[in-house]
Amino acid sequence: MTRFDEELMHLKEMVLRMGAMVESSIKDSVKSLVERNDDLAKAVIERDHQINALDVHIDEECIRLIALMQPMAGDLRFLTTAMKITTDLERMGDNAVNIAERALELNREPILKPYIDIPHMSQIAQGMTRDALDAFVRRDKKLAMDVIMRDDEVDDLKYGILEELISFMIRDPNTVYRAMKISFIAQYLERIADHATNIAEMVVYLVAGKIIRHMTLPTE
Amino acid sequence: MTGQIEIEAKNLNFYYAGDIHALKQVSLSAYKNNVTSLIGPSGCGKTTLLRCFNRMHDLYPKNRYEGEIIFQGTNILSNDIDIINLRSRIGMVFQKPTPFPMTIFDNIAYGLRLKGIKNRSELSGKVEKAIKDAALWDEVKDKLNVSAYELSGGQQQRLVIARALAVEPEVLLFDEPTSALDPISTAKIEELIVQLKSKVTIIIVTHNMQQAARISDWTGFMMLGELIEFDKTDKIFTAPSEKLTEDYITGRFG
Repeated sequence: MTRFDEELMHLKEMVLRMGAMVESSIKDSVKSLVERNDDLAKAVIERDHQINALDVHIDEECIRLIALMQPMAGDLRFLTTAMKITTDLERMGDNAVNIAERALELNREPILKPYIDIPHMSQIAQGMTRDALDAFVRRDKKLAMDVIMRDDEVDDLKYGILEELISFMIRDPNTVYRAMKISFIAQYLERIADHATNIAEMVVYLVAGKIIRHMTLPTE
Repeated sequence: MTGQIEIEAKNLNFYYAGDIHALKQVSLSAYKNNVTSLIGPSGCGKTTLLRCFNRMHDLYPKNRYEGEIIFQGTNILSNDIDIINLRSRIGMVFQKPTPFPMTIFDNIAYGLRLKGIKNRSELSGKVEKAIKDAALWDEVKDKLNVSAYELSGGQQQRLVIARALAVEPEVLLFDEPTSALDPISTAKIEELIVQLKSKVTIIIVTHNMQQAARISDWTGFMMLGELIEFDKTDKIFTAPSEKLTEDYITGRFG
């Protein structure tokens, strides 16, 4: 293995570490809501500094390797993909912080209804994140395409949640404050799934050298 | 950008004296007013291929071509080709600058005089134009009558390019034209090659992959006498189709 290969391996490990932190943040932010656990919500907000620091560090490493090693072809695609992936991961971390902030606010209010679809959405979004990063590490185009397909499921869940919340608000204006906060959370989870989709699209570029963003996917 | 084909090798095989099979079934098109670069490890046949395009191999009678090279509708490998005329239409610039032991002016005028141009003012006009086209004029205009050997390596290389341009070729072949030059002179030659493509079609052999990436429109990757992959330069350097190409340009060869 060349010195450059070792550097790439190290970079890959850092991206994975960042991904694992983001995945935990998504999970914990929703858990802090469902279990009304303020400490967990605060831990998510605190962890975001580490995620941001890793984002900056990975970018610096990518720029350094591009400047010093003049990577070509697959190596060049790997480095540019890593830079873009961390941007999405960083935003996902921010979304988890937003969920935790809303959880802190909602935890001070009486429960509006039991949370069922929100944890479901969160699970799908976490799974998409994990699989998108697995696809990145294994250069697995099939798995990446699978992640992209799952995004619709999250979108559908979000619309279901919003409709239900709107019906609450229409029936009883006293629910508006809470229903609005919950609808924000549904929106953040939907954004998280979008970022996971972006990562999966970048993996397709990494493997196949073809940019599929902003394209209608072929039906298989 | 694809446009018109200027010169095209079709199922080209080449054997050096002693039946050494140096090129195997190579088919490659160089497009008009484009820069095509040939890359590959030492001994892959890229220089051998370049030298086929103006029949440089004919200097050794036991070398043998098979297949065709079509240049503007004519197979230039056929026996009835006037090789002197061919080499004025398809010029060549080598790795080390090769000025003749004469003045700067005479270096450029040499080919023109061979073509029968004797009129003094016509000769100076064409010499000046060639030196300007080679981006050397400002540096030599006051010393056209000094020996070409007084120029720096980079200036000598541009002088040689001017000499090749003077006879108004349609194709210029470059064989690692900057491997003996410093980075500044290299940058000047690269800039010049990109400017020249509006006038001539260029094929360049280079060991410097970044150079191929910077200046060429098309890139061919060769190995063991075969053309492994030929595509647009940006495709080759961002997402080549062949694993061998990928391994070579990412430095993971063998």
